[in-house]
Amino acid sequence: MKRTSTAVVGIAVAALALTGCSGGGGTASGGDENTLTVSGWSLSTTPEFQLLADGFEAQHDGVTVKLVEYDPTDYNTLLTADLAAGKGPDVITQKEVKYLPTFQQGGQLLDVSDVTLPEGIGGADSYKVDGTAYATPYRQDSWVLYYNKALFDEAGVDYPDGSWTWDDYADAADALKSGFEDAGVKATPIYQHSWQSTVQGFAAAQTGSDLLAGDYGYLKDYYQRVLDLQENGDQVPYNTVMANKLTYQGEFGKQSAAMMPMGTWFTATLVSQQESGEADDFEWGIAPVPQLDDSTTGTDATPVTFGDPTGFGVNANVSDEKAQLAKEFLEYAASEDAAKALAGIGITPALLNDAVTEAYFNVEGTPQDDLSKFALSTHETLPENPADENTAAIQNILNDLHTAVLSGSQDIDSAIADAEGRVANEVG
Amino acid sequence: MSITAEQTTDAKAKVPKRHVSRLRLRYTLIGWSFILPNFVGFVLLTLIPVVTVFYMSLTNWNIFGSSQFIGLDNFVRLAGDSSFHSAFGNTLYFAVLHIPLTIAVSLGLALLLNSKLRGVAFFRTAAFFPYITSIVAIALVWNLLLSPQYGPVNQVLGFLGLQNPPGWLTSSDWAMPAVVVVETWRRMGYYMVLFLAGLQTVPRELHEAARTDGANALQRFRHVTLPALRPTMFFVTVMLTIESLKILDLIIVLTDGGPGQATTVIAQFIWTKGFEENQFGYSSAASVVLFLLCLIVTIIQFLWNKRKAV
Repeated sequence: MKRTSTAVVGIAVAALALTGCSGGGGTASGGDENTLTVSGWSLSTTPEFQLLADGFEAQHDGVTVKLVEYDPTDYNTLLTADLAAGKGPDVITQKEVKYLPTFQQGGQLLDVSDVTLPEGIGGADSYKVDGTAYATPYRQDSWVLYYNKALFDEAGVDYPDGSWTWDDYADAADALKSGFEDAGVKATPIYQHSWQSTVQGFAAAQTGSDLLAGDYGYLKDYYQRVLDLQENGDQVPYNTVMANKLTYQGEFGKQSAAMMPMGTWFTATLVSQQESGEADDFEWGIAPVPQLDDSTTGTDATPVTFGDPTGFGVNANVSDEKAQLAKEFLEYAASEDAAKALAGIGITPALLNDAVTEAYFNVEGTPQDDLSKFALSTHETLPENPADENTAAIQNILNDLHTAVLSGSQDIDSAIADAEGRVANEVG
Repeated sequence: MSITAEQTTDAKAKVPKRHVSRLRLRYTLIGWSFILPNFVGFVLLTLIPVVTVFYMSLTNWNIFGSSQFIGLDNFVRLAGDSSFHSAFGNTLYFAVLHIPLTIAVSLGLALLLNSKLRGVAFFRTAAFFPYITSIVAIALVWNLLLSPQYGPVNQVLGFLGLQNPPGWLTSSDWAMPAVVVVETWRRMGYYMVLFLAGLQTVPRELHEAARTDGANALQRFRHVTLPALRPTMFFVTVMLTIESLKILDLIIVLTDGGPGQATTVIAQFIWTKGFEENQFGYSSAASVVLFLLCLIVTIIQFLWNKRKAV
């Protein structure tokens, strides 16, 4: 018995040693000071990583940027496992801002406050914890309104002109519905995807509310409007979206809906799908998202929307030399050169000036009207996910509110009260 | 011709001691080589993680760096966590509906397909198909079937005159019963096979004797088949109970715990706290509670079975 116990303990110790449970620093690139590893996902369909790698290599002789691919769905989980095992990449791509506090508190991210960022770059504050920057942005998608010009023409309804509040948006949806009925067009005025962002992101940004405050009364009007649109038949019902697993690419690309609030990442997708024939060939445009009131509407004002940046952080376990090289990579990714290159493949860079906007709209297949250019370049984009350790838990609770209200399982007031109670009870 | 004890002792004495010990060592090594691959896998992937979970449940570990020992704080927090209460209640609700329904359906199928019907092999295979079907495909198809507006299920109910058919997966009242129906459909083939095997062991003479004594089919089922199936029934109940208490995959792909928290179960609570919110210490405490729940229910079932056996 004693011998058996000793054997079991021996095996356990050996196993711990084998699996590296003792933890410790280290990175995937090891000691090669001229090779920089950068994490990414879906490399074949997300060309931005290779583009930035090539651009950086061209500016740095003898330096190799090696991309480390992760599964996009489980990106943060897999990256977390690698970092915990001391095998993480040198440059840690921040796919979702809400995970930054976990990496930062776990001592995985280096202070990158000394990286010089160009004037006017968006999203940099999202990566600051107590005033210290732990990542820098290279991309900043924001939410806009995509609309199908062909369907608007068929319904005889004027295109959005940048002056819409949410009430105007609902009126336009009614007009489109009547127009479609008269013209015999089988389309729905609005497709709104199932994500909680499609309601809560706008509500928080446009009412200036704080996600972390624990008071969610500001969501009520926004949910009521969506329920009314569903009720009137102006919008594809949430339950249909869920039951039929509808995709926003399919609904807008196949002209099943005339308007769709969506992040600017959709531009590159739509352009490429129209080119490949996966989406129908039709004229479309981008408009600012409808606003809470008149104070932020019109092309002489700055519309308020939301969005989170995508950025790069530096692994805290790299050597000083490697850290310097990694910071140079961050600086390059945020630069105007990189921004123009990114805009050239339909990506919305974090730095948006006239030259970058021009590069964006030089992409074949993008709309050429002034409002589309205004919508992309002019907006106040507020973060959807503040960099806080409680953000992930609060968003999970608010997602329950979202599914309960839009499925019709719970009325808005009680769902909001439940969410407020849960945040107070479950989140520190 | 028989070998006497003296002859055996004589033979043993002739084999050198060194040879015996080498032979024993050889046999021991062969034995170990057979179990070692499985044992190493078990130790690395099951034993160490399980033991670690008990320790982690007493810490505030968030995966990076060192953890802080916080005693029973995580369990105290669980006791006051309304989401955990909801997940605990939903898990029991699922188990209470799912276990008897699956036993009834799979036993019914087994009894039906135990007879000498034409094409019985085809029907047995067909009943087993859901068990080997991809769970994602199952979720997609059942989502369409149960669609409140356009789904065939509600269309049939409407055709039968039901004015307000349930919203199924989109209703907080009906989502869990709908999940139970899908899970029962998915598992029934597997348990049907177990019951079919059990039915082969029921002595035919007992049925014949009961029939001679004038027992009808229901009486024969109750007083002959069921008692003879007790070992199978016990095994099926234990397996079903454990499976029901740790249900996760189907719920993730079918409802993702919604609408609201209507179908959030303990295993999903563990997943969310651990892998989405990086609260691995707290998540481990919930795992320990689930483990204890499974253990207690299984012990009760064993005691009950032992009493019945006596």
